[in-house]
Amino acid sequence: MEQLLVPMICTVEKIIQETPDVRTYRLKFRDESLAEKFDWFPGQFVEFSLLGSGECTFCIASSATRKGTFDCSIKRAGIVTADIHRDLDEGDVVGIRGPYGNWFPLEDLKGKNLLFVGGGIGLAPLRSLIQYAIDNRNDYADFTILYGARTSADLCYKEEIDEWKNNKSLKVILTIDKPEDTWKENVGVVPKILEEVVNPIVENTKVITCGPPIMIKYTLMSLDKLGFDPKDVVTTLEMKMQCGLGKCGRCNIGSTYVCKDGPVFTYEDLSKLPDEF
Amino acid sequence: MNLTTYSTDPAGLQAFYEAIISAHDTYAPVEKFGKFDFTRVDSLSTCNTDSPIPKTMSVKPLFFPKSAKVMKYKATSEGTELTDTEEDPLAGKRVVLGVRHCDARSLQVLDAVYKWDYVDTDYGKRRENTILISTRCNEASTHCFCTSLDYDVEQLDAFDVAVINGLDEKVYLQARTEKGETFLKENATGLAVANGSAQEEMKKQFEKFASSFRLKMDYTEINEKMQGQFDSPEFEDVSSNCVSCNTCAFVCPTCHCFKISDEKLRDEGVRYKSYDSCNNVYFTLMAGGHNPRPVKYRRWRQRAMHKFVYYKERFGVNLCIGCGKCTTSCPVNISIFEVVNKVAK
Repeated sequence: MEQLLVPMICTVEKIIQETPDVRTYRLKFRDESLAEKFDWFPGQFVEFSLLGSGECTFCIASSATRKGTFDCSIKRAGIVTADIHRDLDEGDVVGIRGPYGNWFPLEDLKGKNLLFVGGGIGLAPLRSLIQYAIDNRNDYADFTILYGARTSADLCYKEEIDEWKNNKSLKVILTIDKPEDTWKENVGVVPKILEEVVNPIVENTKVITCGPPIMIKYTLMSLDKLGFDPKDVVTTLEMKMQCGLGKCGRCNIGSTYVCKDGPVFTYEDLSKLPDEF
Repeated sequence: MNLTTYSTDPAGLQAFYEAIISAHDTYAPVEKFGKFDFTRVDSLSTCNTDSPIPKTMSVKPLFFPKSAKVMKYKATSEGTELTDTEEDPLAGKRVVLGVRHCDARSLQVLDAVYKWDYVDTDYGKRRENTILISTRCNEASTHCFCTSLDYDVEQLDAFDVAVINGLDEKVYLQARTEKGETFLKENATGLAVANGSAQEEMKKQFEKFASSFRLKMDYTEINEKMQGQFDSPEFEDVSSNCVSCNTCAFVCPTCHCFKISDEKLRDEGVRYKSYDSCNNVYFTLMAGGHNPRPVKYRRWRQRAMHKFVYYKERFGVNLCIGCGKCTTSCPVNISIFEVVNKVAK
């Protein structure tokens, strides 16, 4: 018996097909007393297991301010995620361990302008914080969401984005890489739109970003050009993990355990780590 | 608490061992196909408490098994249920004989990672319920360098009872922890308490042992120099012969990386926690194909840097205890001692 590694059982309450290869699984604890105890902050992750296939690490894509259920958005990318997409139906059970890891610096964000920059499935961890911030809207100043994907079909959370757009206290800017006939919003990669369309004010603004590595790379360059301090840019790191407990050694970057010291890092923190991610 | 030293002779030591085996659940090195493994023993004749270090698997599997069941699960018409696996076979009270200094020290090193933040209670229980009885080496083996690392072999409290050869065929049993003291009080009946000259004799024996080392290094210097060597071109060179068989990590008393895997047959399954190694190409391979360490030298860099820089930064100790087991077992003769000395130039 390895007690630290034994999961809790959750039921899949709803599956939402977000894009051709991303589905959101809305989960509920089978044992309600566990649901009471399961509390998390935006940015934390869980170990999600499809029993028989294996365990994977996913961020919690929803906020604890909307309790009762929680979401994991899963892109079909590898062996277990392919099994999840193929085999997991509504009503089925999965194993959940967590929540693990650190979270977005909620205290530091208070009173600040929030600028979310997301790409593709990278919106999932941001969504947790976006929901949290919407539910505590008075704690923050300006609220901007820049979200991009390769094509309009690859945009996640379409219904929720419509809600955000209707919310007068948020500014939502969408972009796709190439023009499409019915697309009326921006066209161009995220960093380009960030500079040309959003052109954010730097003062009193915190940037929270997540997306594919190539997007992150150029977004960081753009942010640098716009004059952002690396301390004010927060991201969440992707690294192979298994235990989530700071034991199995998989997510080590230097002496940092991404699963314990992360996954949320400021750009300043990241620049101090060995170049290995 | 005063820790007592008892004195006896080789025959008395054998009798002491036999008494322990008959009274306790006892583990000791047992030979199988020319190698030694710590195994549950019923009589002294089946084991070798002085098994040679290079041929002996570390004591690690008694605390961190090669493959442990995490849980079982079963899908029925009423839904899926998790069931406990059978009782932890390693959690009971037990005594381990023939543990070398380096091996015992490795457990102290592992404690750091198992006890930080999320405490591994299974590991903790196995540790707590075990009495470690060490045998002191009389002579260093070809690849040993334990005296070069950041701990005092002479003053080690990593084991509960030390068995030390003195001069003139004398043997001393020395309690090193309170647990060991209590254990000796109960089990060393009939043994005489050693007189004042024992300390002196043990010191002489240690000096003789310490002078038998072929490999010596200054670990503080190595630690310091390694810190700046992330981009060292040497890593490519030192790892070029490696066949990525992972034997080094398997036999290493301090390597503790593991993987979690499922085995399923129809509606039932078992989840395992098993040894893994940073030398595996898939160790950091992510779904979608991204791998931060896709080439061998980067994986070797992780291995060497984790042992001599990162773990030290994090937990204050080196993740290498100088036992030389990896070097002895390596099919292509890669020596961790040579690797770090080359890199830390």
